Amino acid sequence: MSIESQSEVGDGSGGGTENQYGWRYTISKVLEDTTARWGLYVVCVVLFISAYTAIDSNLSVITFGRVSDFTFAEALPLLEDPERIPPPGETDGNQPPVFHADGSITHPLGTDPDGRDYLSRIVYGAQVSVSVGIFSTLIGLLGGTIIGAVAGYYGGIVDDILMRSVEIVYAIPPLVLIIVFTVLISGGSPDIQFAIVGVGIAFIPVFARIIRSEVLSVREMDYIEAARASGVKDYNIILRHIIPNSFAPVMVYATLQIGVTILIVAGLSFLGYGAQPPTPDWGEMLRVSHGHMLSNIWLSIWPGLAILITIMGFNLLGDGIQDALDPQIDD
Amino acid sequence: MRLLRYTIYRLVQSIPVLIGITLITFILANLAPGDPVQLMLHGQEVDEDLVRTVEERYGLDQPLHERYLNYMAGLVQGDFGHSIHRDRPVRDLMLDRIGPTLLLVLSAYVFAIVTSIPLGILAAKRRNEPADHISRIVALFGVSTPSFWIGIMLIVIFSVTLGVLPSSGLVYPWRTPADTSFFGYLAHFYDVLRHLLLPMIALGTLQMATLMRVERTQMINSLQGEYVKLARAYGVPERRVLRKHAFKPAQLPIITIIGLNLSTALGGAVLIEYVFNINGMGRLLIEAIQELDYQLIMGITIVIGFIFVIGVIITDISYAYIDPRVTYGEEE
Repeated sequence: MSIESQSEVGDGSGGGTENQYGWRYTISKVLEDTTARWGLYVVCVVLFISAYTAIDSNLSVITFGRVSDFTFAEALPLLEDPERIPPPGETDGNQPPVFHADGSITHPLGTDPDGRDYLSRIVYGAQVSVSVGIFSTLIGLLGGTIIGAVAGYYGGIVDDILMRSVEIVYAIPPLVLIIVFTVLISGGSPDIQFAIVGVGIAFIPVFARIIRSEVLSVREMDYIEAARASGVKDYNIILRHIIPNSFAPVMVYATLQIGVTILIVAGLSFLGYGAQPPTPDWGEMLRVSHGHMLSNIWLSIWPGLAILITIMGFNLLGDGIQDALDPQIDD
Repeated sequence: MRLLRYTIYRLVQSIPVLIGITLITFILANLAPGDPVQLMLHGQEVDEDLVRTVEERYGLDQPLHERYLNYMAGLVQGDFGHSIHRDRPVRDLMLDRIGPTLLLVLSAYVFAIVTSIPLGILAAKRRNEPADHISRIVALFGVSTPSFWIGIMLIVIFSVTLGVLPSSGLVYPWRTPADTSFFGYLAHFYDVLRHLLLPMIALGTLQMATLMRVERTQMINSLQGEYVKLARAYGVPERRVLRKHAFKPAQLPIITIIGLNLSTALGGAVLIEYVFNINGMGRLLIEAIQELDYQLIMGITIVIGFIFVIGVIITDISYAYIDPRVTYGEEE
């Protein structure tokens, strides 16, 4: 329902310059919306943190094997190496956070059972969540766009076969499909990259459906007819005309989807089928702290809050973009 | 008659999907690296003949497509194969575990529906007032919080800190209590509810949040409808407008959403069963994965897929029952 109305905005503009105006207009409308702006702030902070930590943890690689003297972690003295388990006697495990009577400022969120600084692990955990969200959404987007565009453009039996097989994937609950896929593909030793591919594949159907319904309307446009009449090859029509003109609603969905994938992979890691120790990942941290629930509850609270805030950011932003693209909802 | 035709139409339409689910699951299970017989042996050295006998016994010596056809032939008769690891029929293993999962999912839905519909209506009625903003915030938290984390937090608050509710397991309502008097049953029912409350809320929060948002939008649209304007013009009291005229048409999309959300609810049940130590299908799936018991993994995936498809069909039929405009899909 709402998708159709978005398409009017998307392809009503037609020409290249107007389209650009459309994007700019959308962005300015999103920024006008207070809640969407907050969502954008949260997303920016999370993206910044993950980029920062990604560069930081790869710095020694960048300097060609030389152990670099400077790391970003030194510039921000509260952060430590999130994976290094301190030898016995160096740091106590299970320390409470700073506002607790037994807490200390050196470990603002306390330490995990192995004595690692929890703030560092939470901060570095953003990297995993963000890359999971972005890469698996990209896989779903790419696969869904190809399948949906081909199905919608050719129609008939191609459409039937592609969309029916996609619906079958849709019929198995994503989390179940992803667990089974991840574990079986990895031969019983799951890791985060299998999870990313699994989540991506599980979400191809939804993207394919949205793209297809868009393509069905774009296909009838005069410029497609013109391209076909002037002998442009099918794959060029799909690639240059069909896909760019049916992309706007999918982008909205993709933003919302990033939150969903982060949520699912957190669950996957919580069950032990996502990120593996010692990788700092919020879901994995919740899995470990689940066993220490009675002795240190803070260990279960921080990663959950981190997931909550991140997903909320993506959801607010996605809602904002959706509202900006869909003039029918007037809240 | 119309409903019967629609039901048959939907059932026939779902057959390819059901077959597709078995095919995907079968391919996945057989794509997996590792030879089942070798897994059974845990790396022990044994006689070649013995390996061949075992392979023959489980039909593992046949080509893939024949194994699939054999599996399907069994499936049609309700035979999900044999769990090599546990040496029991997969069907029996699943029958033991399916009850708790269905109980959990259904109660989560009851919780979600009972809370979301009044809240959604309230938000629509008091649009852009504090009640509406609060409901928006609740919905936002509901869709953004991992269900298993809600479960953990509930355990911490109600089981660990306050000590008022149990943190693990379920009491099954279909078991006969030790005390079979009226009060025995009453105490049993109370026990069932006590155990169900936390997992129900943990699993139902996401559903509640999504349903509440849909309910709000639908009610707002419905309240702007011509029929509501007409009712108001006739001087029908506002309460009656809300309950009689605006409410019913707004509920149709809710039914569809309920059916489609079954997918997330069934997936979420895996996590909630893990957190609350509930012996349902989800935990069985995790156990089967740890044991790399392919027959059991296949069986569970197929059954969960089937439950979802059947759930969607049921909601479609009830939709057709409520809305007489639904056709048999022939125009599509």
